[in-house]
Amino acid sequence: MGQRRRASAVNNSSSQRVSGAPAEVARVPSRKHNICMVSDFFYPNMGGVESHIYQLSQCLIEKGHKVVIATHAYGRRKGVRYLTNGLKVYYLPLQVMYNQSTATTCFHSLPLLRCVFVRERITVVHAHSSFSAMAHDALFHAKTMGLNTVFTDHSLFGFADVSSVLTNKLLTVSLCDTNHIVCVSYTSKENTVLRATLNPEIVSVIPNAVDPTDFTPDPSQRQDGRITIVVISRLVYRKGIDLLGGIIPELCLKHPDLHFLIGGEGPKRIVLEEVREKYQLHDRVRLLGALEHKDVRGVLVQGHIFLNTSLTEAFCMAILEGACCGLQVVSTRVGGIPEVLPEDLITLCEPTVRSLCAGLETVIARQRSGSVPSPASIHARVQNLYTWRNVAERTEKVYDRVSGEEVLPLDRRLRRLRAHCGPVAGSIFAFVAVLNFLFLLLLQWLAPDRNMDMAVDATGLQRLWRQEPNSKVSPMKRAAEREISS
Amino acid sequence: MMEDEAFTDINGKSISLDCQNHSGFCREFTVSSSKVSIGKVMVYTSGVWLLAYTVFFFTENTAVLTCAILVTLVGMMLHIHFVKVDHESLLVIGSLGIQVSSSYASGRETTTFIEQSKIKDIVINEAIYMHQIIYYLCVLLKDPSEPDVVSSVVPLFQSSKPRLNCLVKVYKSCQEILSKC
Repeated sequence: MGQRRRASAVNNSSSQRVSGAPAEVARVPSRKHNICMVSDFFYPNMGGVESHIYQLSQCLIEKGHKVVIATHAYGRRKGVRYLTNGLKVYYLPLQVMYNQSTATTCFHSLPLLRCVFVRERITVVHAHSSFSAMAHDALFHAKTMGLNTVFTDHSLFGFADVSSVLTNKLLTVSLCDTNHIVCVSYTSKENTVLRATLNPEIVSVIPNAVDPTDFTPDPSQRQDGRITIVVISRLVYRKGIDLLGGIIPELCLKHPDLHFLIGGEGPKRIVLEEVREKYQLHDRVRLLGALEHKDVRGVLVQGHIFLNTSLTEAFCMAILEGACCGLQVVSTRVGGIPEVLPEDLITLCEPTVRSLCAGLETVIARQRSGSVPSPASIHARVQNLYTWRNVAERTEKVYDRVSGEEVLPLDRRLRRLRAHCGPVAGSIFAFVAVLNFLFLLLLQWLAPDRNMDMAVDATGLQRLWRQEPNSKVSPMKRAAEREISS
Repeated sequence: MMEDEAFTDINGKSISLDCQNHSGFCREFTVSSSKVSIGKVMVYTSGVWLLAYTVFFFTENTAVLTCAILVTLVGMMLHIHFVKVDHESLLVIGSLGIQVSSSYASGRETTTFIEQSKIKDIVINEAIYMHQIIYYLCVLLKDPSEPDVVSSVVPLFQSSKPRLNCLVKVYKSCQEILSKC
């Protein structure tokens, strides 16, 4: 706890520093960045990281920055695509290895990523998610090319098992010369600082956000005469589905008017199906399967209580969405969850069946007695807590700070690697960094920058993308037409 | 009226664009690539022959040398007949259609004609090609029965691959003609 307080103190002081210097603030708005977001995870894949990247990019475009996204090809979706407001997405044909993450060889992605960085005149490379090999590759290449780098960590890790030890080592190497790191909660910051042995001063905390207009309460959808508990999560071990399997029979036995509504898909679905079979609860436990993002609100508003049983969570978007729809939230006290909502909007329990049942019992009793605040009042409180504009504003400050910093030249980078990551791993990765640099020189000789066409900007300062509702003209054509007229 | 301008392709080699105005609604664009350089031919020939001589030195079989000569000759013939494109041309005739032709170094010519009713538009697009991302000019085709759907795409100047400034020039004059009808 002491550590967390210190972390927040550091963050406060840094934010005061920014707001306390009027001259700096006055200069900031004129500064626009060309940002490239890199992650393996982007639409059509669904999840928290994907929507974070999309929403953040949209708000940054609104602020006048130029944003492009680089991800790997999903099936037949390769090449260049444009999304709303001229957000450009490069689906690069890189081989997917495991869990939608690309293979990391440190080299094979350099030609394409270099092409993206050069032709889009990128100044800041922002990588997302420590599970994404492409993000780490991009950080590595960006540093070789002398670009400023920012990394956002979306997840928590352990320290004990072999896979965490390896990923932590990789993270140490990857982050030791990254300019700035963003975490989604103070717990996540603590975790990242420890895992990657970082200087806490270059780690900022910027939480996720939720679009309140997508999650509005609608109590008329609730069914009278029963209490519905909604669970929306992927049905995997990390989300504590085994706990849920223990809670369901116990509570259903005590409360005959209790119903469960479970949305999501995953390998642990079998656990819930077994429970349903064993206790004959087919009419009271409904498994909805995988939900599309647009359908989530329709499920949430049917419930009275939102239950989250995660065993580890950096920042829980689901409970925020639940609260935003006006539900009573019951959650496990793990990771960054206690930071997300004010204490009176959430009931925290230990991650055990007994504690969760006790927590749910109190909320059910409160619900029956009618002493809970109305959904509309909960929504009104939550909607201003986390907004994407606020996230974008804070991220912008990170970019402003980063763009003023220098990127380590090769010799100092090598020294940093060897000093920071241990003699063995440090030397290996210093060698890889040298090879990467030589490969870059080779590429610059084979395909010089001057032979590369600069991309026509759809966003940013020289934006050519105009807001034209009902327009069927393709963006490129429009861009070219602009050039004709000029 | 004829104009001849020098541009470069995506690899930095020089190409020339030749615009010919036949009439107000008929225009021809020809992109000529650089000729086969004698140095390149020498390098490939001597490469094959050196390899053949090394093999000959160890096997002492004269068939190897005969093969090398045949390989060089046939390879060169195939190259100029099927691979090396001397120039590509795009003939735009308003209200009639577009003719795309490419002539190979051997003199062989392939020509395709796309009629106006099938043409939806001509656009510049971006694509990932080998290990780079390039701009290219393409004709969007439609099915006359479904005018709003792009049924397929025909890339233009596929072998010369001019850079964006050249493409924009061609694009603008194409649009001038297409917009008239």
